[in-house]
This record gives sequence, C-alpha cells and structure tokens, in this order.
Amino acid sequence: MMARVTTLVLLVILAAWTLVAQGQQPPAKHPNFSGYWSAGRAFRASEAPQGPLPPNTVLLADAGAPELPSGNFGGLKVKAAALAAAMRWKPQDEMSISRVCLPPSIVYSMQGPFPMEIHQGTEFIVIRLEYYDLVRIIFMDGRPHLPASAPHTKVGDSVGRWEGNTLVVDTTHLSESTITNNGLNHSDNVRMIERFWLSGDGKTLMARQEFEDPEVLDNRGARYVAWDRGAANDHIFPYECDPSFAANYQAK
Amino acid sequence: MRSSLPWLVLLVVTAAPASAHHSFAVFFDDQTIIEVTGSVTDFHFTNPHAIISFTVKNAKGEVEPWRAETNAVTLLRRRGWTKDSLTVGETITVEGWRARDGSNYMRMRTVKRADGTVLGTPVSNQRVD
Repeated sequence: MMARVTTLVLLVILAAWTLVAQGQQPPAKHPNFSGYWSAGRAFRASEAPQGPLPPNTVLLADAGAPELPSGNFGGLKVKAAALAAAMRWKPQDEMSISRVCLPPSIVYSMQGPFPMEIHQGTEFIVIRLEYYDLVRIIFMDGRPHLPASAPHTKVGDSVGRWEGNTLVVDTTHLSESTITNNGLNHSDNVRMIERFWLSGDGKTLMARQEFEDPEVLDNRGARYVAWDRGAANDHIFPYECDPSFAANYQAK
Repeated sequence: MRSSLPWLVLLVVTAAPASAHHSFAVFFDDQTIIEVTGSVTDFHFTNPHAIISFTVKNAKGEVEPWRAETNAVTLLRRRGWTKDSLTVGETITVEGWRARDGSNYMRMRTVKRADGTVLGTPVSNQRVD
C-alpha cells in the first residue's frame, strides 16, 4: 500500500516538473459569465471602457433603450447606395404581418433593453437572448469560421477566444438586418468583434461591440453595452412574437 | 378614427421611452402625455407588444374605440402583469403617449383601475424596462 502511494506521489511530482520544464501552465481559470443578465444598457460614467477605440471607428450612442432618430446614423459614414435605401425606408413598412416578427441580427439585438442568459462551457458558450428568442453559440474549441458558402443567419457564426480575462468573439455569416433601427441595414458581409469582461465585483458584464461592413460603411461602428447580474433564480421569458400585432397598424 | 375629446389631459414631457422593436419616436408624440378613461373590450397579451382595447365616451356621448400598445410582454411580466391583469368591462385610465397621426391609438405608460390602483410596478423612468 505504502509503495503504491509513494509511486503515485512521484508520478504527480514528475508531471508537475514536466509542465514546469516545458514552460507550460495549467489551464487558466477564466471568468464565469454564466447567469442571468438584466436588460442591456449604456455604460455609466463610472464604468471605464477597455482601451481606446480603433481608428476610423465611431461610437454609437444608442445602447440600451435610446434610439437614434430618423435620418441620424450616429456618425457612421454610409455609402451612397445604402444611404439612399436608408432614407427611403419608412417605419410603417416594418409594421406588416410578414415583417413585424423578423428578428434583428445580433448587431442590433445585443444592445437592446432585454435580458439574456449565458451558459458557459469550455467547448462553447451559449447566449440566450430574450429578444426574439435568439440563441447564440460561441465556439471556443479553436475551429475556423464556416466556409463562405454556409448560410447566413441573424446570429451568424461566432468563434471565441480568451485574452486574459476578456472574452473576444468574432462573428461572421450574419444576414442583412438593421444596424440602428431607423432604416440603415448592414449587409451579409458585416463582421462583428465583441469583447466581454466583468466588473471587479463580478456584478456587471460589459462589452465593446465593433462592426465593419465595407459594402455599406466607410468607417466602423462601435457600442459599449453593460448588463447587471440578476439573481440565481431569474430567467428569461419566451418572446414568441405574434405577427397579428401588425394588424393594429394596418387598422389605423 | 380620430377624436377631439375635450377631457384629454395633456402634459408636456421632455423624454421618451424607446421601443427596441420599432421606432417609438416615429409613431408616438414623445412630447405629450395623455390620459384616457374607458371600458376594456379586449386585452391581447403577446409580444412584440400587448394591446389593450377599450371604448371611450366622447363629449357628445358617442362611444369611440381606443387601443393602447404596451411594452413587450416579457417586460410587463417582470413588472407584475399577467394575461389576466385586465377584465373585459372594467373601467381603466390609461396614461401614455398618443399616436402622431392623431388616431385613437397610444403607447401606454401606466394603467389605473377605477379605484386608482396602478397595475404592476410603475415605470420609474422613461426606459422600457
């Protein structure tokens, strides 16, 4: 019995020595983002952003409940064709049975004033948005993006990695959808980078969203969004959008 | 239907709520809050927004149909509302922002029962949550 214990201890020491000798460290313990996060909101003055924005990037002031008014795209430099389409857009167009329940892509949905749940694993992280029941899967296993021919969706194809305590998520394969909820759409070629981190007390999840879309924009857009941690028994509700709502606008 | 009800209470406000689903400011007058009292005829409790239908007697004694759009149902639930919060036939007073086109359509901020009870947790500020 004693010999077995001695052998086991020696094996553990040998394994640890091997790691040290090879300059390797045990897997880092990442922050745990799992839980319920209340409605997205803008940063408070006391919440410092993580580093400066990249060059040629404009910060949109519509995170959370605020909206940009018609014709105001928050400083995004919109190419002529996209701008013309945005200016032709009428909000009434969205209030139809066929359109009212179309979810916005995560470019817009992630900053909206609705809660979300995060379920964090090692191979992937799931983000469930209450808004339009959108579900994101962020693959953390090092896989590349889907091939160009793969379908585009409102949640796209997200791959993530850890940079210290920051989760960096790169999303492609998003389908055309609104950027600012006032007529400006991104194209199928938009790319979004998100950086998520926790406040020091772990009670606030913060994110910097950056997106670029050379088909639509001559600069890049960014948003800072924060979510406050809910109680352990909080949960999102099903959205289950009912398109008959649009009939109220048809009847006016 | 358009109304010229003389008893609408008008208050000037400076901020507006926002709809994440469709543009609030485009459809509703964010500078004016009205109060309308009437009898519930229907309560449709689904997303993207619930609809309260009610009838109102105008100054001539004629009955006019009104509708009030609410926040998303998921947000209402957290403020204590359920699909049974309103009963057909009960009298309510709806406060909110009127449709810009002048129709009898509004965005709800609060609803009070006949005894003055406010339904659910009142909104503390202009945010939708």
